[in-house]
Amino acid sequence: MSVAAEAAKPAPARRFPGPLAGALAYMAAAALAMLAAVFLPFDDYILHILVETATYAIAVFGLTVVLGLCGQINLAQAAFFGLGAYAVGLGTADLHLSFWLALAGGAGIALVMGACLGMSTLRLGGHYLAMVTISFQQILTLVMINWIAVTHGPDGVGNIARPAWFSSGHGYLGLCIAALALVGYLVWRLPETKLGRSMRAVRDNELAASVSGIDVYRIKVAAFALCALLGGIGGGLFAGGFSYVSPDQFSFAESIVFLTMALLGGVASPIGALIGTALLIVLPETLRFLKSVPGLYLAIYGLAVILIIRFMPDGIWGFVQVYLRRFMKPAAFARSAPELVLVPAKLEAESALEVEGLSKHFGGLKAVDSVSFSVRRGSVHALIGPNGSGKTTTLNVLSGLYTPTAGKIALDGHDVTALPPHARTAVGLGRTFQNIRLFRSMSALDNVVIGAERPGHDLGRIHAALVDQARAALAFVGLEGRARDPITSFSYGHQRLIEIARALAGNPTLLLLDEPAAGLNSTEKVELRGLLKRIAGEGLTILIIDHDMALVSDVAEHITVLNFGRRIADGVAGEVLRNPDVIAAYLGAEPDVAHRA
Amino acid sequence: MDLVLQLLFTGIGIGAVYALVALGFVLIFRATNVVNFAQGEFSMVAAFIMVVFAVDLGWPYWLSFIVSLGGMALLGALFNLGVYYPLRNRSFLPVIIATIGASIFLANSVLALYGPQPQVLQGWFDTPGIQLGPVYLDSQYLLIIAVTIVLVAFQYWFFEHTLLGKKLQATSQDKEMASLIGIPVSAMIMLTFVYSALLGGIAGILVAPVLFVSIQMGATIALKAFAATIIGGFGDVAGAIIGGLALGVIETFGAAYISVPYKDGFAFLVLVAFLIFRPQGLFGERVAEKA
Amino acid sequence: MSLIALETLTVRYGEIEAVHGISLAVEAGEVVTLLGANGAGKSTTLRAISGLAKPASGDILFDGRSIAGLGPEAIVKLGIAHVPEGRRVFPGLTARENIMLGAANRGRLARRVLSDETDGMFDLFSDIRPFADALGWTLSGGQQQMVAVARGLMAKPRLLLLDEPSLGLAPVIVQKVFSIIAEIRRRGTTVLLVEQNARMALSVADRGYVLETGRLALSGKPEELWRNDDVRNAYLGGKAAKAV
Repeated sequence: MSVAAEAAKPAPARRFPGPLAGALAYMAAAALAMLAAVFLPFDDYILHILVETATYAIAVFGLTVVLGLCGQINLAQAAFFGLGAYAVGLGTADLHLSFWLALAGGAGIALVMGACLGMSTLRLGGHYLAMVTISFQQILTLVMINWIAVTHGPDGVGNIARPAWFSSGHGYLGLCIAALALVGYLVWRLPETKLGRSMRAVRDNELAASVSGIDVYRIKVAAFALCALLGGIGGGLFAGGFSYVSPDQFSFAESIVFLTMALLGGVASPIGALIGTALLIVLPETLRFLKSVPGLYLAIYGLAVILIIRFMPDGIWGFVQVYLRRFMKPAAFARSAPELVLVPAKLEAESALEVEGLSKHFGGLKAVDSVSFSVRRGSVHALIGPNGSGKTTTLNVLSGLYTPTAGKIALDGHDVTALPPHARTAVGLGRTFQNIRLFRSMSALDNVVIGAERPGHDLGRIHAALVDQARAALAFVGLEGRARDPITSFSYGHQRLIEIARALAGNPTLLLLDEPAAGLNSTEKVELRGLLKRIAGEGLTILIIDHDMALVSDVAEHITVLNFGRRIADGVAGEVLRNPDVIAAYLGAEPDVAHRA
Repeated sequence: MDLVLQLLFTGIGIGAVYALVALGFVLIFRATNVVNFAQGEFSMVAAFIMVVFAVDLGWPYWLSFIVSLGGMALLGALFNLGVYYPLRNRSFLPVIIATIGASIFLANSVLALYGPQPQVLQGWFDTPGIQLGPVYLDSQYLLIIAVTIVLVAFQYWFFEHTLLGKKLQATSQDKEMASLIGIPVSAMIMLTFVYSALLGGIAGILVAPVLFVSIQMGATIALKAFAATIIGGFGDVAGAIIGGLALGVIETFGAAYISVPYKDGFAFLVLVAFLIFRPQGLFGERVAEKA
Repeated sequence: MSLIALETLTVRYGEIEAVHGISLAVEAGEVVTLLGANGAGKSTTLRAISGLAKPASGDILFDGRSIAGLGPEAIVKLGIAHVPEGRRVFPGLTARENIMLGAANRGRLARRVLSDETDGMFDLFSDIRPFADALGWTLSGGQQQMVAVARGLMAKPRLLLLDEPSLGLAPVIVQKVFSIIAEIRRRGTTVLLVEQNARMALSVADRGYVLETGRLALSGKPEELWRNDDVRNAYLGGKAAKAV
């Protein structure tokens, strides 16, 4: 290993916004809020409103995770809230369990229910999830009302106990605020963890997430279960706060209230969730006269949802953030980026990729018809062919987006034919897309960090190592200076480079490039050519698909040509391009222009 | 055996209502790729308009019916202009959240205007029904089944045998291509919303004498209709009808033999069972991937 | 006056500037082909003419009148029919219904007129007559292409835009498609043809333009273009062209 490789090794954690200082400031603020809760002379009315706000906000944090981070909908948060509340209510009042045990039980039930619901639905589209969560909500309400023997039916549950140390109103508020602060901190930090990044990646682009090695389904289920868990915790604390719960507090209407709170404040951040929750609890209290007309509040909420979605999709906090960002420039990196080292991970097979008799049929159409080729380790191999010749289908079969009708694919000696895309990434496949697929709400750096932390690419658990690797990859494509800029601020050509950097950061065994020259202007194409040669110079194996013959003939050593789904030529670049069949496939033969009518 | 026949009749009657609302779901889904979560509220609003005119104001039933359908056409158009159209280029999540918002808005606006008491709407006929052998045929259920048959036949004729129907189909299959051959795509989508609102409205007016007219009826019907579309295969017209009928029958038998309070829960169980074991529904996707 | 004239047309496609200030003209009665490798901006040019893409700058004159910025529904009513890449046959409608809908731009037509004209299309495209009642998605690529061209002709266009009619078709079928283009030309419809298959395109065209990364590289008679090395460069890349 070279000196540069040493530089890429995990250095002592040194991250930009000074997380330790941030955390300390946060803890201090939380402690202050708790002291205020305990010692300020609030009357019972204010205490109630504050407990309600704190416990609701915990549940709304759940929506921040599932909807804001992961882009999945949950219209049953009140049901999970209710599960927690009923667990504490029935547990302490009827079963005489300790408050803590009942709270943990409620949270656990909510978590399990959330996971089951998510597992049954999250493979399907979002419509299903919306409808299934509504159904679940309705069912739970039915059960609360009708299973009178256990739930006491419409009468609800009274005499709910509080834990001994927090039995006073002030003490209990302190407990709620402590819980709020703790959960809020975790949710606030979540986007910067691997799990949180994966969720954001899934929300931004599921396909790109899966080829970056993220198990999309598992992440969605995790987000959904986490949301349910927070709903359960919030509900459990809510029950202790009010000592009485009834089914109407956990109806579908309340789920909509939770949703409105999240959307109004800003669904992307726990700060937004807190703002939205506080507003929608305090506003109705101050405008009590509106409550005299049943339905009016919810009608306004419904209208608010439509208007927020249309005019303020990022909510209040999103709106404020736009202004804050103008004054807050991200801090510079403490040291320059290390050099990127691309090490072919294993040396198990002579061929990085071995394709045998690969076929993909769509009904009667043979898009790919028993194609075989092999990509030698360390070489640049091109797969070309006229439009509609089956290149893109081949590529989608190679990366696992389609299952082949027949044939075998071996990556670095491993049979990956039956593996899903994220598992192929773990074996060492990296790819880019013809129509660039980046995580558009993130910075260039975050995009590439996701590439760097692909499964099978072990950089240890230290965040700094990941950031170093990502910066190195960005530096390799010449964009490290703008690492913190949001993706949308980059030109099309630069976005293409970032996508390549994302794949490079995972140190793949084989890099699949799907028409990297598409949409680039002539200058950018020249730059791309240089970049590809440098990547090849590092010894990385590349399979490139492109129409740009100037590019292909310049960088590829080996070419496979497809036409009508079949391989029509395969061999050393110069010879293949002189092959008359190949020329005819691209240009047609000499035209008989003279005989034209 | 007599009870079975009787339940079958009732189940098909209720199922026909679900089928009508499900048809509205499917039409909008095919035209816009969005599930309209406010579809059930169309039924609820139409039923309340009927109550206002036929009961409160004492207008003739047929005139109230026409007024109600006029109101639904207007509501469908406003819904398109106010909720779907401004968001048509956004991803599907904002659009479905907006339709959920619209659903809440409609249900609670009616609640605020009319109060929470469920209302009673008389059926179209004065005769309560006829006894046919062991089965008692309620006149309103007969009407529901008859109207559903007529509407399904009309829809079949309209989509399969008129040029306008073909244009609507073309729009739902490929909007860009439809616009390229000169089909006014926005107008077609508008028409789809108006037609779906009318379907939902008719379903609501038909079912109102059987159930109570209540604020919750929209959400309940929408849930059943959605389950019906999943049972039948998402986006499939025939599937929506068969799914609706099947659900009505399952629910009626479930209520009779298992539990009345949990009647509304059966739809959910059937829904989840299909999601897990046969997410493509009974009939799968009719139009395969484009070759 | 040219039937259609592009004046320093620039089109952005999302973030990509796909066409940079190209100018070209097609006279009434001509078949003109637009050649170039993938991504050269050919399809985008057609999309701009038919209103699917909005020009960022420059102008498009149809019959001397600016149509830049009009929507596709308005443009097809003026008499420009676009047969897009990938055929885009409505999958759930039959071949006959697909073709019939091609006349949607011509306002209300008597049912008989419409069905007579549709039958007329099956005379021109006799190969697809047996499949008149087959659903679009069940047709083969070649059959779909014929349905798509017939649908375009039903608009009675003065200008027909054809985008890659040979895409993914077997050579025999390609021959057939091009003989139909020759027939369309004989009947007096002006055609702007985008093709990757340079040989076939040049064999039916009166003139050709070559696009390279969104810019007009050269133009001329088919014979001149075929002999020109730059055309080969555009398709096969520098090295290969020299090697040939």
